[in-house]
Amino acid sequence: MRYTWLGCLMVGSLLFAGTQDSELNVNKRYTVDTVIVAGKGWKTNLADQQNDRISNGLRKDLLALIGQKLNPGILDGLSSRLKKEFSAREVSHQVLRGDQPEHVRVEFEVRPASFGLDGTVTKFLYDSKQGWSGIGAVGFTAQQNSFAFGLASDGDTLNERYAGISARYENKHLGTERVGLHFKFESYHQLWNQSTLNALQANPGVTSDAYRTRQNFEPTATITLAKPLTLEIGVSFQRFQDQYPVAHYEAANALTTTLRYHRRLADAQYPQDVDAAYNLRAATKVLDSDFMYASHTVGFNYRVVHGKHQVADHVNAGLIGGRAPLFERLVAGNSSYLRGWNKYDIDPIGGNRLIHNSVEYRYGPFQAFYDAGAIWDSGQPATPRHSVGVGIKESIFSLAVAFPVRSGRVEPIIMVGMIY
Amino acid sequence: MSRRRWLLAGLTTPLLSLSASDPLKVTYDGDNLHVAAPTLHFLTGKPLERLKYGDVVAYVAQLELLNESRTAVVRPQRGRFVVSYALWEEKFSVTRLGSSAGSTAHTVEGLSLAAAEAWCLDNLTMSTQGLSADLSYWLRLELRTGTARDFADEAKIGVSIHDLIDFLGRKNTEVTHWGPLETRVRLADLPRMAGRGSRNG
Repeated sequence: MRYTWLGCLMVGSLLFAGTQDSELNVNKRYTVDTVIVAGKGWKTNLADQQNDRISNGLRKDLLALIGQKLNPGILDGLSSRLKKEFSAREVSHQVLRGDQPEHVRVEFEVRPASFGLDGTVTKFLYDSKQGWSGIGAVGFTAQQNSFAFGLASDGDTLNERYAGISARYENKHLGTERVGLHFKFESYHQLWNQSTLNALQANPGVTSDAYRTRQNFEPTATITLAKPLTLEIGVSFQRFQDQYPVAHYEAANALTTTLRYHRRLADAQYPQDVDAAYNLRAATKVLDSDFMYASHTVGFNYRVVHGKHQVADHVNAGLIGGRAPLFERLVAGNSSYLRGWNKYDIDPIGGNRLIHNSVEYRYGPFQAFYDAGAIWDSGQPATPRHSVGVGIKESIFSLAVAFPVRSGRVEPIIMVGMIY
Repeated sequence: MSRRRWLLAGLTTPLLSLSASDPLKVTYDGDNLHVAAPTLHFLTGKPLERLKYGDVVAYVAQLELLNESRTAVVRPQRGRFVVSYALWEEKFSVTRLGSSAGSTAHTVEGLSLAAAEAWCLDNLTMSTQGLSADLSYWLRLELRTGTARDFADEAKIGVSIHDLIDFLGRKNTEVTHWGPLETRVRLADLPRMAGRGSRNG
């Protein structure tokens, strides 16, 4: 009997201790009804708003707090994960009264790093036809100001290989979180493919001559119109040095406008991403431009994910009215459009009309794609082209073999690198 | 008023004012010393702000009895308290953790700010067993917010106060100090608490 009493006492004391421990924070009795994540100049109620800054997994875990009794132990872990995702100096959390009695609101406050140094590689690609291309920058961030200095050697994007330096300053929140400002300066030297030089000679007056150097200064303001909709307005002052008949400079100064829409439907049965953008570059005499043109490009990207399966569709179209210099002309047959085709075979000086669609399927790291499109000049017939490819893509690392679909010989192009 | 009375008044006033400004009030129940510090407010400033944002704040109170020359600690006593604030009831909850590892914790809820402060000190007692009633001692009280190290014992024996340990382990948790408050005591001179008998004579 003595042992029975002793046992009861021990069990009782353990139960008592357990109850007391769980009551250390008296707010555990309340139910969480709202979770808010806020940073410098922004605030998101996770239940109501979509926030692209937070990954799906973390967002799901934050949302899981809602409807549950407050568990302060979990909040520290979530703060740590937010800190990691935002590379923040500190993430703190507060528990405040909710909208209904006995309910509480959890607010996470993200304090950005006051100074951060980072390096980024925005393009690193080997194309079996065009060789290596690489674009990278080293930058630092102080408060909401970021500075970046970059190097580039790109033989992929345009019908020129350009190599040189760039500098960029960005203020992400100019007084308000809705307005950002950035300045970009680029200075490049050009190398030309013989096909391009031949085409220029054969088609005088279609575009600019081949130039030796090109500089661009581009101040741009970014305005968040509504949460998924942003508008960029800026001016691009480009000047380039022609070689013939004597070295001289020409300017292509343009007003630039980009309207972007981005929406992530993370809560849908299958997560989906929708991106759309319209870009206008209008060069006029008002800006003292030697070239007068208006370049319109539109893009629509859609991606749906189901487990390891991903299907994406990218639609792009471009139209240039007027006479645009070479660097403004539309290009296909690179790592973005009509992969597998050689841009110098299709149109060595680019075109002023482009239509392109790319369908991509991925299973885990394995990918297969089908590109279809055409590039041509107004008044000339458009020749539709197709290509298919397979490869491996993990995050930004990609290895792809693309085949142009045409009668006769099969000449694949291999692309390896980091493609964003 | 005679000159002698003026002189007496001049001598006693500083003594009375010293007594009135004594920050540490000590009472004796025959077995234990009880302290009160009406001027000591530790539910203020940053700790109070943390409480109002739903955090818990741990406090460690150190009560020491020193010899008359204040060169040696005759008897130490430590109290550990965890305070939280009910956001809807706007009342404080205080848990007194056992003074030794494994000893039972005790919680009270629904306290006002002043009552919570008073409850912490009310539960900080010092046994007078073995102390001489005729000797003078100094009683010193220090208070600070707790750190994870103060609660390491609980973690070792597996008692589930991980939330508290995690909270105290945060890098930015500052330690705030109050005191020390000191007062001279002689058991024989201390006022006895009502309703309590002396077992020490």
